[in-house]
Formats: sequence, structure tokens, C-alpha cells
Amino acid sequence: MVREFKLPDVGEGVSEGEIVSWLVEEGDTVSEDMPVAEVETDKAIVEVPSPVNGTVKEIIPEEGEVVKVGSVIITFDVEGEADETETETAASEESTESQTETAEEPEVPADDAEAEEVSTGEGRVFAAPSARRLARELGVDIAAVEGSGPSGRVTERDVRQAAESGVDTQEGSGSTGGPEPTSGGGTSGPSPTSGGGTSGPSPTSGGGTSGPSPTSGGGTSGPAPTDIESADRETTLAAPATRRIAEEQGVDLNKVPATEQRDGEAFVTSEAVMEYAEAQQRAQQADAAEPAEGERVERIQYKGVRKTIGDAMVNSKFSAPHVTHHDTAVVDNLVETRERLKPEAEERGISLTYMPFVMKAVVAALKQHPKLNSELDEEAGEILRKNYYNVGVATATDAGLMVPVVDDVDDKGLLQISSEVNEVVQKARDRSISRDELQGSTFSITNFGAIGGEYATPILNYPEAGILGIGELKQRPVVEDGEVVAKYTLPISLSIDHRIVDGADAAAFANTFIEYVENPELLLLE
Amino acid sequence: MVVGDISTGTDVLVIGAGPGGYVAAIRAGQLDLDVTLVEKDAYGGTCLNYGCIPSKAMITASDLAHEAGNAEEMGVYADPEVDLGEMVGWKDGVVDQLTGGVEKLCKANGVELMEGRAEFADENKARIVHGGEGQGAETVEFEHAVVSTGSRPIQVPGFDFGDDPVLDSRQALALDEVPESLVIVGAGYIGMELAGVFAKLGTDVTVVEMLDSVLPGYEDDLARPVKKKADELGIDFYFGEAASGWEESGDGITVKTENEDGEVSEFGAEKVLVAVGRQPVTDTLELENAGVETDENGFIPTDDRARTNVDNIYAIGDVAGEPMLAHKASKEGQVAAEVIAGEPSALDYQAVPAAVFTDPEIGTVGMTEAEAEEDGFEPVVGKFPFNASGRALTTGHADGFVRIVADEPSGFLLGAQIVGPEASELIAEMGLAIEMGATLEDVAATIHTHPTLSEAVMEAAENALGHAIHTLNR
Repeated sequence: MVREFKLPDVGEGVSEGEIVSWLVEEGDTVSEDMPVAEVETDKAIVEVPSPVNGTVKEIIPEEGEVVKVGSVIITFDVEGEADETETETAASEESTESQTETAEEPEVPADDAEAEEVSTGEGRVFAAPSARRLARELGVDIAAVEGSGPSGRVTERDVRQAAESGVDTQEGSGSTGGPEPTSGGGTSGPSPTSGGGTSGPSPTSGGGTSGPSPTSGGGTSGPAPTDIESADRETTLAAPATRRIAEEQGVDLNKVPATEQRDGEAFVTSEAVMEYAEAQQRAQQADAAEPAEGERVERIQYKGVRKTIGDAMVNSKFSAPHVTHHDTAVVDNLVETRERLKPEAEERGISLTYMPFVMKAVVAALKQHPKLNSELDEEAGEILRKNYYNVGVATATDAGLMVPVVDDVDDKGLLQISSEVNEVVQKARDRSISRDELQGSTFSITNFGAIGGEYATPILNYPEAGILGIGELKQRPVVEDGEVVAKYTLPISLSIDHRIVDGADAAAFANTFIEYVENPELLLLE
Repeated sequence: MVVGDISTGTDVLVIGAGPGGYVAAIRAGQLDLDVTLVEKDAYGGTCLNYGCIPSKAMITASDLAHEAGNAEEMGVYADPEVDLGEMVGWKDGVVDQLTGGVEKLCKANGVELMEGRAEFADENKARIVHGGEGQGAETVEFEHAVVSTGSRPIQVPGFDFGDDPVLDSRQALALDEVPESLVIVGAGYIGMELAGVFAKLGTDVTVVEMLDSVLPGYEDDLARPVKKKADELGIDFYFGEAASGWEESGDGITVKTENEDGEVSEFGAEKVLVAVGRQPVTDTLELENAGVETDENGFIPTDDRARTNVDNIYAIGDVAGEPMLAHKASKEGQVAAEVIAGEPSALDYQAVPAAVFTDPEIGTVGMTEAEAEEDGFEPVVGKFPFNASGRALTTGHADGFVRIVADEPSGFLLGAQIVGPEASELIAEMGLAIEMGATLEDVAATIHTHPTLSEAVMEAAENALGHAIHTLNR
């Protein structure tokens, strides 16, 4: 019999994943638990194992496609198994708990995928007549509004919000379904810059609910119809309004590809005219530009890790009022100490960087300034002071920023910390890191200085209350006893959640941290 | 301007007082516009006077007679005597009540009523030619005009509605005696509705249709129960036959038809009813004087605000194109009036329901499964047969089914097709559900009264979800 296999929930809170690669082909023999696909969720890449022994019958999504949890991605021919699907399906709806089972139960798709569904079909908008009327009154193109109602229905409130946020308000209103849908996600704030510069941390913290994803909007809305072939008819039916548009655009209606037939005659809509006109303009522009260069704008889907980072940044920056405190430590002693210890570490097979010293110093400072090792639980109205010290280390990877975590730094020695940091960072880079290793930090460090630069304004790894940015460690002019001398210095940029940490706390923490990195032998006392 | 013409001015001139025009006029009146409504014949138009309403009255009355005489199964024995003259009289009473109501409502909303036929002089003037010789004419200057002149039955060459034995639907509904025998040309919804009426009154009915089935345009499985019932009523069908003419013979007439191969058939009858469709009435308006364009079928193309190619002239109802349905006309009338009043109104309905009052009835709204697929949805279909409905069985009419079409991934309802008892009423729930963006689950989870036919709608939704109680699931 044939077994369908749905994309399982590969991690909590994950609603969709991108099929990065298929590890099997149709016709391949598979055994149970053998990986069949690599799926990238918003957190990491996961291998999806086969649930059965059998052969691959059909592979449904292509590599690179984003699929919802619960949609069928592959089917298997399973030998020797009785044809049970019928009974299974009919008998027990509720008991179909395991995602790996098939059963044709009506899946309840994740909210965020709805927006796309809503606009499938020909301009069909799922909204009550009252909401549609309000949209016209407010001049909102309801087709571009993301619905928050049941099953993604567009409610009056959605329409109002869209109007307030200025999403796609059209002048003249009245007409439904404007020709150019604007992209979704009109509400997202400034997007964070890449992992290097003003780096902040990434998502992770417990069960982050991923908001409604504009993936669909971003993916489908781009007016990117490929070249439109001219039709060549004798007569064309069109509404007067369409004829007017055609005239304005200088388009011959008989050349516009017909979208439908009425009374056996080609019928052309305003949308089709606009599309055709735009295609003509593009073609003209393309002709004008001499050698066919690539497109001026490349459209890259905003999804997966990239989108998770973005969502986390928006959430952090707009939830916690950030204040960033800058200072510089003079770290000749630290440089010396590390030089001395480096060969020792190497003998034990460990490459000793400055990071373990920084982490140790951070933990020492956190112990003296516990306000920075806390988070605000707004719902409960409580500040959570944490008596453990898990430090996240922001890491630039090819897929974007990740923050692997080293647990209980206070209990660990320099070398152990060093080897653990190296390990998780490497895992993050080759994306073999597990979700656990990306969660649970209480304070984060971002070492943008590894790439270069002095100061930055790190964004908190929300809901943590503090993040320490480390600039480039190098010799800089320092005034000592009235003389300018070259000294190794370490610029620091400390961002705090000003709701629960004050500027004075930040300065005090920075002073303690500086004391430790300037005098690394103090770490012996820790 | 003709000397002697009286000239008046108005914000809105509505031409034609059918279900499109009178609604537009009343709505415009409600919106404080100065409205003039011109009607050349009877308030309420075809719908109230010669179409929907009188045919439903006659269908109900003939059903009653037929049912009473065919209820032996329930232990009822009767042989009703029908006086068609009285039946038509009763029908006329109903019509009068309704058309009188329309007139009153118009007046109460400040609508100026004017009798006559309108001809455009230019895009801001129309001449109203009063009925009858020498009754004069007057000119109305308007800011906006709404064309709602409706449609008339199409005449088949060789069949002149002016000739006595040749009937259009309007004349067929006004006969004072039940004809012995009747040939009906056309098996569309009007032909099939009237075939049922006359067969139930005892007429020997023959239907000739050019195409190869009854109710062309409807899905086969919807038409099938209608054909089955018609066969039971003794209606004879001849498909692939195009009516070519008629001649008198003895007491009655002979209707001639031709098939594709040119073979001629003859059908004897007392009268012939021609119901092959309707065409828009746009040829008497002198639209060209106002610059209003029509397409090759005479329809006036309009946009989603009911505007024609001339900015201040609107067209609604049958003249604005298919589907030619009274309720579509009314909606367009409302929208036209609101747009004229500057409101952000538009024709953004998701689905237009339709009903056919055959036996059994048909009700449809939105997309069929095939249309949904064509539109890029992934349709899932749920069905419930009326022979599994307790209420249907107790009415003695359990033929037919409810079918619901939804988009499987999202569950959104896209359409419904119903054939069976009260299908015309049952479809309303589906219309609301579709406009509201309801899902299969919404309908399935709504408690429906037991024992009623409406439970069939809920069961069909449950069937689509795979958990109907009273049928085996797909």
C-alpha cells in the first residue's frame, strides 16, 4: 500500500520548513529511520527520517520549496502491509496524533500560511461583506490585507489596521483588487543589518511563537509575470473602464491576452491590461538596456533563519528600550596572560582565544551586578533574577546570525569554556547545531570586533537584559601619565534593557568587567 | 427639443421600474437624491408582472393540484378540479399586491414616477414618449441616468409572438383555459418550469430542445432528477431538434423541427410556447445619442460600479449582462444609486445564487468543483442525498442532494449545488456562508434544526470533512 508522509513538527513552535535537499530519489529503497530529506526550519537544519521500510513512490515539493508542517511531502510504497488507510481514516479522526501517520483528516494549517490561501483563486477574498465595504471606504486593497480572523479571514479590525499602517491605500478606492498587490509585512520595522556590524543576537529563547509570516506575501506578491505574449484578435470584449485604462496605457485591447471568455468572445479585464502594459514597458526597457543584463533587483525570499532573525530583532528592539554604554579597557595584561597560556592550551589540543576570558569576566561582573542577569516577565509583572550563568555567543554564519550557548560558565574553567565555545560556534557555522544548544542563555556576547570596528549598538537577545559587544582588540593610543603611548585596548559596547537596568547599573557593570579584563589574575579568585 | 415638450430636471433618471430600476430609485431616494423613475408598462417589470412572481404562483397552484391528486401513498384520495381562469385570477391578485407595493414604496421615498418610454437625446437629456398616440412627450434633463430596461423573450424565426397559438412565457401564464396539448420550444429553466406547470394541470406536453439535454448550463447530475420527474409526469422530450416553423392543422397546429441532418419532425399540439432565452432591451433607447456602447449581443458593458463607458450613465440588471437574475439587478441597482450618491460602493459580491423552480428545484451559488479547480483552488466536495434526510422523506420528495464545494487546504466554502425539495431556499444559507468567508467547519459546527431539510447542508459540510453521521464518508 501507499503511505503518505507529512512534514512532521521538527521542532516545537515550528510551522513550516524549507526542503533544503532530498536525500533519496523516487524509486529508492528506504528503511525505517533512514534520513530522506534535510529540512531547514526557522531555527536549524533537521534531517527527516523515513517512517517505514519500503520504496519512495513520489517526492512532492521540490528542493527549496517551503512547506507547512502537516503537508504531505513524500509517499512510500510499503510492501506487505494491509490496505488500512480506509479504516484508519474513517474510524479515528482524533486519534491520529502522530504526524507521521497519514489519514486524510482535514488539516488545520498554521495561521501564517493562510494569507496565501486566502488569495488563491481569482481575486477571491475571504472577508465578510461588511469588511469589504469598510476596505473600500478606507481605500484599502483588501486583497493585500493579512487576515487575523478564523482561518485567516480578513476582519474589519485588520482592514482598519491596514489603513492606519498605510498599507496599500489606493486613491479613488471603489475598485476591488488593485492591479499591484503590495508585499505583505507592511508592519515590520527596520531590518537589522547583517551579522557583522551592529550585530545583535538572534532568537532562541523559550518557545518563541513565530508571528504571522509574510513569507507568502513576499513570495507571491512580486509583480513578476514573465514576458506576456501578445494576442492578436479581431474583436475583444471589455468593460468601458478597461477600455479607458487601455487607452491611457496606449495598449491595443486586441493584443492583450484574454483572461476569460464571455459569450464565446475573448474578454479582457483591467488587470490583464495593466499586466500587459507593464510587460510591454519592461520589454522596452530591456531592449533599451544594451546587453541583457541581469535584473536590477534580485528578489530573495525572506524566510527561514533570515526571517527568524528579523522577527527577533523587531521584537527585541520594540519591546525593550535599549541604552548602549561604551567604554574601553586597556588590556596589555590580558594579552600577555593569553600569550603565556596559549601554548599550554595547545598542548591539550585547545585553541585559546580571548573569548573565554571575556566570558569569565562577564560572569564575574554579572555576579556583582545581578540586575544584568535577569529578564522582565511583563505578563507576570515580575523581574526574573537568574542565579545561573549561561552565556550566548553571537556567531555569524552563512545563513545569518545565530547565538549558540555555553551553559553554566561560572562552573567551568577557561579551557573547558574555550573548547565548548569553539564546538558550538563550529556547529552553528556548519548548521549541525541542535535547538537546545541555541536556547537558554541568560546574557549574550557579540564579538563584532573579530571582523573589525570599535563600537556598535548591539540589540538585546530578548528577553535578556544585557548584551556585551566586543570591538577589535588592538593597539591604540592611550594617555598614560600625560604621555600618549600605544597600548592594547578592548572597546566595549554594552546594551541594556532600560526598563529593568539603569544607566548607572550599566556603567558599574562595565567598570567591573573592565577591572577583570585589565587584571585577568583576578579571575583566579572566581 | 420638440415644441410643446415640457422640460424637467432631475439628479437621477432611472429608466425601467423592474427589480433593478425600482431598487435603484428607492435607494437613491433614501440617499436624498432627486429621482425620476420612468416605466413604459408596469411597475415591478418582468419579474413581478410576467416572470418570477406569476410563474411561482402558477407553479405552487399546479403543484397543489397535482399533489392532492397523487397522494394515495399517504392515504389521501382526491381528484382536484382546476379552473385555470380562477387560478390566473388569484395569481393576478398576488401580482397587483406586489406591484402596488412597489409604487407606494417609490412614492414614500420621494421618487417621481413617470409613465413612458425613454430615448436618450444626449448624455444629459432624455425624451420620455408617453404611451399612446398624441399623448405627447417631455424632456428630462438628468445629472445621472440608470438604464434598467431589462430583457424580452427571444423570438425564434417562424414563431411570431403576435400570432395566437404562439406563446411567450408571459402569455402562457395568462391563459384562461388549460390547453389540451402544448409544444414547448426550449428545455432551459423557463421551458422546464412551465412544462411542469402544464403537465401537472393535465396538458399533454412535448419539449423540443436544440441541445442534447434539459437545463443546459447546469451540471448533469443536477439536471438528472428534473428530467426523471418530468418523464414521470409524462412529458415527452426530443433533443437535437431546432424548431423551424408551425402551421395550422385541423383544430390545432403542427410544429416543425429540424435535426442536424436536416430531417424534419412534426409535432401536433393546441399551442406552442417558445422559451429559448432572453435578450436585453437596449434597442429602443437611442443609446448612441448619449454615446453609450453596447456589445454585439446588445448588452451594455459596465465596470464594478455599474458605470457604462459614459461617466454619468449606469446600466444594471439584464441590460448589463448575464446572469439575468432579478436579485443581481437589485444589487446592481443599490450599488449604482450609492455610487451616484458618492458612497464607496462596489459590486464585490463573491457569488450570485440562482434558483430554478422545476420539480425538484435547483439552487446554485458560487463555484462548481470544476470551476474551483480552474480557478486554482484544491477543491474538496461534500454531498448529502435527500433520501437520507428524515424531513425530505416525510415530505414525499426525497430525490436530489446537497453538494458543497470548498478549498481543501483552507476549508473556505466556494460554492454549493442543491437539487431537491426547497433547494431555492436552502441555497441562501450557502450564499451567506460564502460571502462571510465561512469554512466547512463553520457550517458543520452550526447546529441545524431537526427535522428540517437544512440539516442536509450541515451533513454535506460534514461529509466534506470526512465525518458525516448519516452518510458514509467519501
